[in-house]
Amino acid sequence: MNEYIITSTNINQLAGELLNEGYNVVAEAEDGTAFIAVAAGSNVILNPFGKPTNLSPKQYIFPKTETLFYYKKSQTDVEIIDPTGLGHKTVIFGTKPCDSAANKILAKVFNWDYKDEFFNKRVENTVVIGLKCGYRDAQCFCTSVGLSPESGEGSDVFLTPLENGDYLAQTITEKGAKFVEEHKKMFDAISADKNKPVPMPEAPAKKFDAAKVKVWLDSNFENEFWDGLGDLCLGCAQCAYVCPTCHCFDIVDENFDYTSGRRVKNWDCCQFTMFTKHASGHNPRSVQSDRFRQRVNHKFKYYPDRFDMILCTGCGRCSRGCGVGMDISEIVQAIDNLK
Amino acid sequence: MAQLVETAKELLKSGKVSYIIGYTAHGDNGTKPFIARTEADAEKLVFNHHCVNNLSVYINKADIPENGNIGIIAKGCDIRTITMLVQENQIKREHIYIIGVNCNGQVKDIGMNWEKENVAQKCALCEVRTPALYDVLVGDLEDFEKPEPTTMQLIQQIEAMTPKERWAYWQEQFDKCIKCYACRQACPLCYCDQCIVDKNEPQWIETSPTSRGNLSWNIIRALHQSGRCVGCGECSRVCPMGIPIGILNVKMNMISMRDFGFKPGMNINESTLVGSYNFTEKENFIR
Amino acid sequence: MLTIENIYKPDLVEIIDIIQETPDIQTFKLKFKDPEVQKNYSFKAGQFAEYSVFGEGECTFCIASPPTRMEFLECSFKAAGKVTKAMSRMNVGDTMGLRGPYGNWFPIEQMKGKNVVFIAGGIGLAPVRCIIKNVLDLRSEFKDVTIVYGARSVNDLVYKYELEEWKNMPDVKTVVTVDPGGETPEWTGEVGFVPTIVEKVAPSGEDTVAIICGPPIMIKYTFPVLEKLGFKDDNIITTLENRMKCGLGKCGRCNVGNIYVCKDGPVFNLTQMKTLPDEY
Repeated sequence: MNEYIITSTNINQLAGELLNEGYNVVAEAEDGTAFIAVAAGSNVILNPFGKPTNLSPKQYIFPKTETLFYYKKSQTDVEIIDPTGLGHKTVIFGTKPCDSAANKILAKVFNWDYKDEFFNKRVENTVVIGLKCGYRDAQCFCTSVGLSPESGEGSDVFLTPLENGDYLAQTITEKGAKFVEEHKKMFDAISADKNKPVPMPEAPAKKFDAAKVKVWLDSNFENEFWDGLGDLCLGCAQCAYVCPTCHCFDIVDENFDYTSGRRVKNWDCCQFTMFTKHASGHNPRSVQSDRFRQRVNHKFKYYPDRFDMILCTGCGRCSRGCGVGMDISEIVQAIDNLK
Repeated sequence: MAQLVETAKELLKSGKVSYIIGYTAHGDNGTKPFIARTEADAEKLVFNHHCVNNLSVYINKADIPENGNIGIIAKGCDIRTITMLVQENQIKREHIYIIGVNCNGQVKDIGMNWEKENVAQKCALCEVRTPALYDVLVGDLEDFEKPEPTTMQLIQQIEAMTPKERWAYWQEQFDKCIKCYACRQACPLCYCDQCIVDKNEPQWIETSPTSRGNLSWNIIRALHQSGRCVGCGECSRVCPMGIPIGILNVKMNMISMRDFGFKPGMNINESTLVGSYNFTEKENFIR
Repeated sequence: MLTIENIYKPDLVEIIDIIQETPDIQTFKLKFKDPEVQKNYSFKAGQFAEYSVFGEGECTFCIASPPTRMEFLECSFKAAGKVTKAMSRMNVGDTMGLRGPYGNWFPIEQMKGKNVVFIAGGIGLAPVRCIIKNVLDLRSEFKDVTIVYGARSVNDLVYKYELEEWKNMPDVKTVVTVDPGGETPEWTGEVGFVPTIVEKVAPSGEDTVAIICGPPIMIKYTFPVLEKLGFKDDNIITTLENRMKCGLGKCGRCNVGNIYVCKDGPVFNLTQMKTLPDEY
């Protein structure tokens, strides 16, 4: 790991230079709803003490809609045409640890036997500049899922805000080191007197013991705990879509006209009634509580069983965003407190 | 408030209702929906400035087993929705016991502090602080400072735009849409068993969150709500992307008022605009 | 231009024959348009594929033809939803897409040297047909072979031509039945629900593997019959036709408990089925 200092001004300069080099530069939108592609280097805002954006930056490695291929039909024949535009170099500025960590978690399912190159190529071509997090609220629980507000997990370069307004930049991966090397005039050497980090609030106290919860989940699929749990859930997809690790998707064909169209991969959500509905009309998860049970189990049991990782980074977006106050950390905490 | 809790306990004890949908304290500064089934549950019911949710969404949506009548704690705007639901035959009037509350303003979203800038837009022009319909009324009216009517200002801003500017404005807004359907799920009047976007033979409305798909979805929802939406603002509140979709519905309401003199949910005895047949309709194709 | 391997891209196939099995079930015979793909293609009985109707979407069916007969692939389907209805409107010569094979397969190696009983109902015969034909093509490697198949009515029987073939094989016991009320005056087969007929045929569970597929209710009532006949849970095998979409273990749709039907299935034995939550 190499360490450098980068000034606040240089961050914007660097962003500007990257734009000139043809990179996609992504940072938090001013209104805090999402991460967006910025048009000018000065638009890059770093927000270590601010609330996480409503929508995670998952869009940039797993877009909400993605063309898988185009097709052209003629008489009885069909031609399949590959999509373009993959592999655009991107730099994302200022993802908090609960966002940066998601890439490694998602890489597991997207490379399970079959390699989803749409995902892999995007990750390969993206440099993640993570940011130490100073935000705390009742919905944060990164420490309960093995992360922390200072974790560089998933970042290529990790920034720590310093008292004088500069940032300490640590290269976490080879990609990060190469990136800094290629833009080294923006980075200064580290020096002891410039190196005082801004004091951060204490890390959130652990809300639950994920390992203990998993043991309960292993043998309590039919427990009455689940009854009525989803009664107040509205069954929208907000929690899944804002989540940095939710990845269920739908594949549909969309026609442009009678002879051509595309096949597209769109975000989907297990909370929708139609998600598991069979063509015969049979729906294995016909009640919202069943669907909600699936969400908790997938994140805290099935994914760990299969890939040894929890499908959650504790960012709290789902709970903050839910219009009716469904809070997954409260529910998992309730499981931990059972018996 | 004591009056609310006592009323609720009484209803549950007498068996008049099998459960009451209300609010309970949640977090430092908020409430969340809550179903009270017992007197002990009823103790947890609250009503304050943080009860912005429109609970009538649970009348149709929830998988809550029903054996008997249900009770609901509702503000004037929520009761306008309940009125519409009764008029549209979604629930019989005698099956829902309405505990109306005198409302002194609500925050824009759960968890916000009660102060002028945080007051919900619908409260700026509210005419139903004492609900128009109820079985019992609790609470007292108190003055509160109304917020700047930014929603009406935005509508006027858009009305002043040229068609090209308006199109550009909505394109930009709808591009943000992620098709989470929170707007649809939070809306009490969106109760179709199978929403038009979920029908795929043929796929009337594209499911993809592209410009085209998003535009189709949001416009079709506004059209399906025209003449019905009461302006509770839940759709705008729950949208994670901050799209002001509710103003499409408010605008359609303004048109209903202007062209038909109809305001949804104000009077349970009057016929609804799109749910009734009127021989004096202007358009002759419908006679 | 994309230069990645696109796991979502299907190969093109041509419909070379369409057989109307019943009023709402068809069998398609498909051949890859690229002869190289056709030559090098292989799969095992029990695996499924994703069939594309470009412009309508993809749907999931098992490959109904056996891997011992590779001149073409077959699939059978009922026109129930958007894509299958579009398929039912297609003609010989039209182009479709095919992705696969995916999933696991019937444990044919473990079945060798044993007796095999095939039990199917309605369109459930389609996923079982591939393994029946696979076994019959290697007949000498198995002991007794019994087929019990039933449908609602005579009209609803699929693969009628094959049922005749199998009935005429001296070393195969084939019993076909229709539900009470589904028989015609000319019907010479059995009349009764599949579980009842299995009980009547009473194949012994000793050293026997049962492969069963059909409507959930048929399976539910057949399991206890098999148990009574001495079948071990490990030797009762079924294929789960859950709702699947990507076939690649990514989209999450077929996730049931700890398993993904498209990766850990669709073939399961009863021991494994009993560990699954009731969500399929």
